Amino acid sequence: MKVLSSLKTGILRSIRLWKGVLIVWFIMFILVSVLMYPFRSSLGSAFGTSMITEKLEGGFDVEAFADLGSTMKSLVTFFTAGFVIVYLTGFIINAFLTGGLFHSLRKDNEKFSYQEFFRGCSANFWSFLVISLIITLIMSFLSGIIILIPLGIISSSETISEKNAYTLVICAVAFILMIIPLFLLVADYARAGKAANSNLSCFTALGFGFSQTFGKLKSSYILMLFLILAQIALGIIILSIFPAWRPVTGGGVFLLLIISQLMFYFRLLFKTWRYASVTSLMESTLVVKPGNL
Amino acid sequence: MERKSAFILGLFFVVNTLNAQIINKVPLSERITGYKMDVRLDTDAKTVSGKMEAYWVNRSGDTVPDIQMHLYMNAFRSSRTTYFKEMRGSPGEDDLDLGWIEIESFEDDNGFDLLPEMEYISPDDGNEADRTVLRVILHEPAKPGDTVFVKIGFETKLPSRIRRTGYSGNYYFVAQWFPKFGVYEPAGMRYATVGGWNCHQFHATSEFYSNHSVYDVTVTLPANYITGSGGMLISETADGIMKTQVFRGEDIVDFAWTAWPDYAVLTDRWNNVNITLLMPKDRINQAERQFTAVKNALEYFGKNVGPYPWPHLTFVDPPSIGAGAGGMEYTTLFTSGSSYFMPSFFHKPEMVTVHEFGHAYFMGIIASNEFEEPWLDEGVNSFWEVRIMDHFYGNNSGRINHPLLKISDAAATRLPYLRSSARQAVSNNEYSWKYPHGTYFIISYFKAATWLNTLMGIVGEETINEVFREYYRKWAFKHPSGTDFVNVVNEVVSREHGDKFGPDMNWFFDQTLYGTGICDYKVQGIDNHKYQKPQGRSDSDDISEIAGFNVDSLYFSVAELGRIGEIMLPVDVLIHFTNGDEVLEKWDGKERYKDFKYTGNREIEWVKIDPEFKISMDVDYNNNSMTMTPQKAPLHRLVNKITAFIEFYLSIMLL
Repeated sequence: MKVLSSLKTGILRSIRLWKGVLIVWFIMFILVSVLMYPFRSSLGSAFGTSMITEKLEGGFDVEAFADLGSTMKSLVTFFTAGFVIVYLTGFIINAFLTGGLFHSLRKDNEKFSYQEFFRGCSANFWSFLVISLIITLIMSFLSGIIILIPLGIISSSETISEKNAYTLVICAVAFILMIIPLFLLVADYARAGKAANSNLSCFTALGFGFSQTFGKLKSSYILMLFLILAQIALGIIILSIFPAWRPVTGGGVFLLLIISQLMFYFRLLFKTWRYASVTSLMESTLVVKPGNL
Repeated sequence: MERKSAFILGLFFVVNTLNAQIINKVPLSERITGYKMDVRLDTDAKTVSGKMEAYWVNRSGDTVPDIQMHLYMNAFRSSRTTYFKEMRGSPGEDDLDLGWIEIESFEDDNGFDLLPEMEYISPDDGNEADRTVLRVILHEPAKPGDTVFVKIGFETKLPSRIRRTGYSGNYYFVAQWFPKFGVYEPAGMRYATVGGWNCHQFHATSEFYSNHSVYDVTVTLPANYITGSGGMLISETADGIMKTQVFRGEDIVDFAWTAWPDYAVLTDRWNNVNITLLMPKDRINQAERQFTAVKNALEYFGKNVGPYPWPHLTFVDPPSIGAGAGGMEYTTLFTSGSSYFMPSFFHKPEMVTVHEFGHAYFMGIIASNEFEEPWLDEGVNSFWEVRIMDHFYGNNSGRINHPLLKISDAAATRLPYLRSSARQAVSNNEYSWKYPHGTYFIISYFKAATWLNTLMGIVGEETINEVFREYYRKWAFKHPSGTDFVNVVNEVVSREHGDKFGPDMNWFFDQTLYGTGICDYKVQGIDNHKYQKPQGRSDSDDISEIAGFNVDSLYFSVAELGRIGEIMLPVDVLIHFTNGDEVLEKWDGKERYKDFKYTGNREIEWVKIDPEFKISMDVDYNNNSMTMTPQKAPLHRLVNKITAFIEFYLSIMLL
């Protein structure tokens, strides 16, 4: 019941926070556009007045891009370097913005205000950055280990069948997928706890996240699993629309931009739903009050 | 004397057996050589040892003092062999890693011991550490028409870490494993100016040039092993622990076989051809696509080149421990490459199957010299692989067919050549081991396939099919050279098109096969110049070319074309005007610059050189066209999708 009520409360709180989500969308859009706008210009000048772009009407055409030769190499280098910068910047910005989201999602924040949102952003920034960094590093390290162990077994064995090798890798991936909700829960509880009690240090908040996650593992895990499945469902809907949608007119392309950004906004709303549901579950079943830590 | 009589009687029996017809009703080839072997696989020592009786018929007018044989397994004897020097590798440290072949006895038909007459030679590079070619001085020179019989006892140690051949655990792929005759080329055959043996060392990049032969091979091995070979299984007997199988191959250029206890044996049939597929049992889910691929190839080659002449075909999808044996060709036996989980949109297994099967035609039936003219083997075969893959799996999706990414086999073959920085390092007219800077694959496979595709674009698909049908009719079970192929092209193109392309097609081959130039045509510009009525004069004073036009909207338009590359090929030029008119011009492509000029009440809107992409040698399709109204929508669509992808990626990856 707590899970269901948390999910329901989470929906209401995330909808209430639609303006905050809009801020997140806008900033992420600007961030990615910083990379993509010059990339688009470079691509446009690389193809120039050539009609080879007709071949792109049916989708990505490897020959059209490969024939750009050294220009293509420059474009790939530019894109790769830009992507890394965008990712790192996005990491920092995400830590900043989630501070505002978690702050605004608290029970006592019934009405959204921009001042409160950005106050939360600045108050929680450093703690959230450290929490995100530590959880991301732990997840990456564990995922690497879990994948490398079966790969090591496979490469050192001459007798293992391909089917068994494949099954081993699938099991490893499945195990990673199973533990990911745990780390998301730790990160979300830690941030919700920190947002609820500004006196908490980031490491204390992390400890709080772990204790909350494992203190009420069953309900927390079910909640997170449901939220992840909902996001996967949204992802499937998006994937069924966009790859096959190939507008060839300017108007169609603009519509694609609008719809894709709308979908991205929905995706951010779903993510905020996750934050809100975890916050709600924490508030309803607080094992250790963050203020008492 | 008694021993000698018995030996001659035995050889008489061998020749009679080898000349018998078991598989086909009539011999397909001259059968200049033949082999009868009785060998045993020792799974502990990793050796194949036994006796071989073989013959070579001197069909030349020369008196030949010696014979030369390939002893390819000696390539794995040390890191100093030519093979490993070219590979810049090593066969391994342990004795079990090495591969070698030891000749234990060598007699001629008179019982003379030829062991003292043996010497290892290195005709290609003078490498004294290389023992892959054996020369034996005959006791009596072979006169024209003579048949030289030899009886050889040998032991072959298989190398570990399978590279084409060898063992891995209990998996065996036994290729290049027995003493095999070179090809005696009398003066006038191919490029030979004097008679002599054509018997090259084992190289990193080539291994095939042999006479079509008959093989009777008896193999004894542990009974639990499942085998496959380039021959037909004639009989099998077992005594509990061991079993003995007899295989026969007719009119094939090599005999290889494989043994592994865990093979699944699957069979299928296409017309009169029995197809056998050996693969790991847990990979059976991939069998149907493999059978489909090989049947596609059988159908396409049969229709467009010539019939597959054997009633049997075996192909092997090696397990991962034997992956080094994958992607090889032994005419009626070839190896593919797949895995338990191979997505259906990724057509690499089909591509490898089609390619390796194709070698049954190009070097198997039409037995060109892979060492000296690898393009005639790999390049021609790659050309057919591309055609088959794109025909059966989609023009744009022969290699990859996924909703997000489609790649044709033509593109996958063209791009490595076009994007290589060493694409002009050497022509196709080079020995396989002499390609510099790792250009062997780029030039032999990809460049050759690309210019053959270009040739098809110029003369037409049906003409190129007729070229290969004629090539098959003339050269099946013979040894053509590149010049012979060019002659067939000239003959057929002349027959089909008269002098449309000139007296012959040598102008094409001089640039593509024998040249190192690149092909690149470019639309330099479009100039639409509005007619300005001269001051103080009447219209009638102007040049006559404007007569009949409305001078208020009269344009002098020029499509400015250029040839950037060295190669000159005839190209189509499609010019589109603002009023919807289109003109298809023919340009011989010889001048560095070419203008097509038009006058009328219309402007040129766009120009395309080679609008149907027939000239696949053109290294840059992008500059082949120009428009006054560029369509940016596809690019913007792509950028919008990438933008959304990055946003979603960040939202998933960032907590």
